Amino acid sequence: MSADSARWRLRKPSQTMAVFAMCVVLVFVFSVALKGFMTVGNLFALARNISILGILALGMAVVVIGRGLDLSQVASLAVSTAVAIIVMNAGYPTALALFAGLLLAIAIGVLNGFLISVVEMPPLLTTLASSLAVLGITRSTLVPHYVVYLAKGHDAFLQLGGNIAGGIPAPLVVFAVAALFVHLFLSWTVAGRSIYAHGDNPDAARLTGLPTRPLTMLEYALSSAIGYVGGVVMISETALMHLQVAESTLIFDVIMVVVLGGVSLVGGRGNVLSVVVGTLLIGVLLNGMTIMDMDVQTQNIIKGIVLLVAIVLDSYLHPRDEETSKQGD
Amino acid sequence: MSGSSSIKKMLQAGVAATVVTMAAGISTPSWSAEAREELRAAFDKTLKGKTVAWAPVWLGVLESEWTRVMKAHFDDYGMKFEVRDANFKSDVQLQAVSELINEHPDVLVVQNPNVTLLARELKRAMEAGIYVVQVNMASNTLSDAYVGVDARDMGRRLARNIIDDCGGGKGSGEVSILEGEATAAYSLDMKNGALEVFKTDPTIKVVSSQPTSWDANKAGEITATVLQQHPDLCAILSVWGPQAAGAAQAIKAAGKTDKAKIYVASDGQPADCDLLEQGLFYRNLSYRADTQGEAIVDAVIGLLQNGDKPGSKRIAYYTTPAWVKSKDDRAFCFSVPKDAK
Repeated sequence: MSADSARWRLRKPSQTMAVFAMCVVLVFVFSVALKGFMTVGNLFALARNISILGILALGMAVVVIGRGLDLSQVASLAVSTAVAIIVMNAGYPTALALFAGLLLAIAIGVLNGFLISVVEMPPLLTTLASSLAVLGITRSTLVPHYVVYLAKGHDAFLQLGGNIAGGIPAPLVVFAVAALFVHLFLSWTVAGRSIYAHGDNPDAARLTGLPTRPLTMLEYALSSAIGYVGGVVMISETALMHLQVAESTLIFDVIMVVVLGGVSLVGGRGNVLSVVVGTLLIGVLLNGMTIMDMDVQTQNIIKGIVLLVAIVLDSYLHPRDEETSKQGD
Repeated sequence: MSGSSSIKKMLQAGVAATVVTMAAGISTPSWSAEAREELRAAFDKTLKGKTVAWAPVWLGVLESEWTRVMKAHFDDYGMKFEVRDANFKSDVQLQAVSELINEHPDVLVVQNPNVTLLARELKRAMEAGIYVVQVNMASNTLSDAYVGVDARDMGRRLARNIIDDCGGGKGSGEVSILEGEATAAYSLDMKNGALEVFKTDPTIKVVSSQPTSWDANKAGEITATVLQQHPDLCAILSVWGPQAAGAAQAIKAAGKTDKAKIYVASDGQPADCDLLEQGLFYRNLSYRADTQGEAIVDAVIGLLQNGDKPGSKRIAYYTTPAWVKSKDDRAFCFSVPKDAK
């Protein structure tokens, strides 16, 4: 595939480059048309707003590259951060509380991976069911009213949602570090390369001796754990966790960002740059529409059109063939 | 206490009263005690064993408090109480209400997610002889009783307060509105009420009005962007407390807590008062869910005792909201008793 794709790249731009070009055009249009778009303050606000989405998309990308899908990511982060808040409110050290939440997130991810790889359930249904289950259990035992507030006096923790020197939003730094980590993991470690192989052709990966079952568990654990990092940033920005976020359209926004940037749902394609570019396009779009104070119907129409354009682009750049038509068609 | 023992008691009381009357040879003073007994007996006879079905949009903080108060009263009166939590899914709620009507309770209490979803079913319920009480938002079908706030009026009150603080040169006059779900009538009514008042003052400029889908993060993101474009923003009008918490943190991160003030329409949940006491909210226009719960109970037992044909009356119980400005106004947030769940 690599020789093939090299030839593709000579003839056609990659989807990542195409989306990046769309992004540049949009930035140019907004800068000319919207007073107050091209200012340092607004760009920082934009960066702050896309950081959480970007972090979640990084986790999702790991699973999608391995030819899976994790619909439970947002439910998992909602539940594990809610537990972390409850432990913090009980007076335990912040680090310990955050660690407890992380363990829970990883456990949910491993469970997903186990059900998918060992019990051999389809990822879509598995993660849909597990998200309902973890949410239901948490609500009936720990968070009866859906909202859990962080008690007063965790100012050091809340700084994670604030700004660092020079007005740079701290969430942006977390996004950058997470992106670097995922990039290094995917391109420089054996496990990372194995995930590409797993997504590119699962049967071949298994036949060549890759441990595909543990690999699947690793993929889902990473999606859940990285999602949890996004969740921690989320609670540091708002000082509360509203479990309803798990039932919002956030998870579809995450998948949209991943697919938009060129991490194809057929697996084995795309990288961290694709995620960053996809996040950037959505971020610029949302920021511009908020500045224009556009009504929500128009916003949805525009979001829908952008996604459709990206899908058309995807099918133009990666035409369906025997290899890829198995999934999602 | 069972029905037969209370009847026995009544008989005993009746016999005793007759004996006393005959012995003393006078007729009037003793019937008052008897009548008071009869009042309770008639109350019990009307209410005992009656079924109240309750279909909220979901069981959030507000709805759970209504439910707690209703259950406490209905249990005490020997009534049956059935709750169906639709968990914010309108198809589930519609189905739940249809099923409840088929089970034929005596009273159906509903919280409408919008003005149309349950309208037809509520009409069907009344035709089937079930009293219908609507809570906090009336649908297009009016019913026997309505209990709740006037969202449009709350919007007007919040807007007048904002004009007092931000209009006429006292502030920049720039206002941002944080709506809830884009289609929720509670949020739309409140926004329209506010806009109606804002239009009367040329110094007020609504610079942003965006739905947050009740999400604190979304509210925070919108507020961060709006603050960049309008650094002199004077007020944020939020239709709900938890989402405003996200906006408050965004204002804090921008270091503008004292400049951009948050005015919240609050359902009186304890966290809203906490946030005001921490200086994150500036004013809450608050109504208490527990007293509202008692108003629902009053409406239910009023209808049952009145005995009019279902669908024949239109009684409204509007909630009077109160301003929460400091920790002295804590009474306008409810507190859930520790042992209640």
